[in-house]
Amino acid sequence: MQDQPLSINSFPRAILHIDGDAFFASCEQSRDPRLKGKPVITGKERGIAASMSYEAKARGVTRAMRLSDIKKICPDAVFLPSDYETYSLLSKRFYEIVRRYTSDVEEYSIDECFADITGLRRPLRMNYSRIAGKIKADLDAELGFTFSAGLGPNKTIAKVGSKWKKPSGLTIIPGYSIHRYLAKKYTEDIWGIGPQTSAYLKKEKVNTALELARKNEEWVREKFTKPIQETWRELNGQFVFELETESKESYASIQKVRTFTPPSRDRGFIFSQLSKNIENACIKLRRYSLSAKSGSFFLKLQNFRYSGIEVKFSRLTSVPNDIVNIARIHFDEMYNSRTLYRATGVTLSKLEEDKNKQLDLFGEAVRSEEMKRLFKGVDEVNDKFGKHTIYLGSSFAANKFSQHLGDRGDAPQRKNLLARGETKRKRLAIPMFVGEVV
Amino acid sequence: MKKYHAKIIAFYRKAKRMPSYGEIARLLGFKSKNAAYKLVVKMVEAGLVAKDSSGKIIPKRIFGETRVLGTVEAGFPSPAEEELIDTITLDEYLIKNKEATYMLKVSGDSMIDAGIKPGDIVLVERNKPPKNGDIVIAEVDGNWTMKYLRKSGRQITLAPGNKKFKPIVPEDELNIAAVVTAVVRKY
Repeated sequence: MQDQPLSINSFPRAILHIDGDAFFASCEQSRDPRLKGKPVITGKERGIAASMSYEAKARGVTRAMRLSDIKKICPDAVFLPSDYETYSLLSKRFYEIVRRYTSDVEEYSIDECFADITGLRRPLRMNYSRIAGKIKADLDAELGFTFSAGLGPNKTIAKVGSKWKKPSGLTIIPGYSIHRYLAKKYTEDIWGIGPQTSAYLKKEKVNTALELARKNEEWVREKFTKPIQETWRELNGQFVFELETESKESYASIQKVRTFTPPSRDRGFIFSQLSKNIENACIKLRRYSLSAKSGSFFLKLQNFRYSGIEVKFSRLTSVPNDIVNIARIHFDEMYNSRTLYRATGVTLSKLEEDKNKQLDLFGEAVRSEEMKRLFKGVDEVNDKFGKHTIYLGSSFAANKFSQHLGDRGDAPQRKNLLARGETKRKRLAIPMFVGEVV
Repeated sequence: MKKYHAKIIAFYRKAKRMPSYGEIARLLGFKSKNAAYKLVVKMVEAGLVAKDSSGKIIPKRIFGETRVLGTVEAGFPSPAEEELIDTITLDEYLIKNKEATYMLKVSGDSMIDAGIKPGDIVLVERNKPPKNGDIVIAEVDGNWTMKYLRKSGRQITLAPGNKKFKPIVPEDELNIAAVVTAVVRKY
């Protein structure tokens, strides 16, 4: 029973999942030889580890660990401010290299993607595992750090594969071998199974992913909702979850959060931080020709808790002035002058495309048309001269100083290493090697 | 016309299509479509845009290519260069493998005789097999170094382009990260 395959096929569909190994930290190590072999941690500006190199992982550093705690267990750790510009450039290259082989690529996150390589054996004259190996080899060599890849008959199994051996693994799981891998995985290790579901499964005496896969369909149907039923089918080798190969052009919500250092209880300063986030969220709204109908504002406390409120807008808007005014009215409902805050954030939701904006009775629409034209001008100026060349007065205090004072305020190296003609706001879209050239 | 052209390009980049005459009028603040029409006629004459068979505006040389001019023949005007010579952008000219190309800002003067000065930007390509005589970026003692690669038999030497420096003969395995493919100096 234990050894009976879940599926008799090998690859009715061939889905590849690729995951950058310690992506942000690797981006840093690959461009600066001084960092090779050292425990490197990114996320200095946030005060917590966003990504850590394998050297740091070996010392027990985990994601979201506070820097002060890391220093205790790993005194020689190198902390770097996140350089999202470089990480994004390398992320794009990552997708592009995979697209040399297939156009069916889902950009799952900055350091992960799915690729459908079904049917490519003949045109590429290679079997699936060689194609997967070739893609991985290209990525490793051209980006200068390693990736882990998993090949399976669907996304869920491909993800089991890419996690199987890290770093720099390449795990091929044909349908008839799935059961061997699932026997060694707990249900909570499976993509799409959260802690709630796995806790419930444990009560039902289902611990490993294989035990779940072996349950019959009625049992699964009776106990779970559709997403888990679908995961169950994928564990059994069927192809269910399609790849989302369209690049993201619509958003369900837009969120902007920023931390600042040192923490503050200054009402004006904190409000100004929130105002800047609102402006940034609106820039993104306008870029995608969207307007929001509702929003939530929140403040992050020094003890990492949140206080926040949710507000429905009276009409769709993408004008920051409107939203800042709403935030101003409700600000004191979440702000307490005796508390220290370390971050502010805004989430705009119920987004709709601009064209189906409803006209209202009292001429607000006319004013809104004018504001729209005004902000089109603002966007053009900022396009030309750099982000935040023009900003709202309410964001002044946030724009006046850098986001982080003291040690955490260190800018990413790339921002100080400029080529002639580059500015702090606009740089060439090519990643730069850093370090001394001797 | 240049200013107008820039705005039309901006529209094209954003909307991924060329504007209609009405849209051009609105874009440039003209009062009538006719004014837009007249402008387009001029732009077609100047070779900035073209029209398709149904009269709609289609892009021509607007991707920021630099014009390559043909040889000048005395006496004969040569209208054909633009039609005959496919142009490439400076990016395409300098960069072969886009995904594998990186920049490095030069700090030392060890390659001064190769014409590479401190402050220059070099474009380097990863995953390019280094050949004898290439200028390479190698990792030596935890630093980058830029040198000529000299191979003779199994012996590998990193040779500077400056008499004041000594060649490096790596003892262990040498990690060559990338090969220099271009030098950019902006004045």
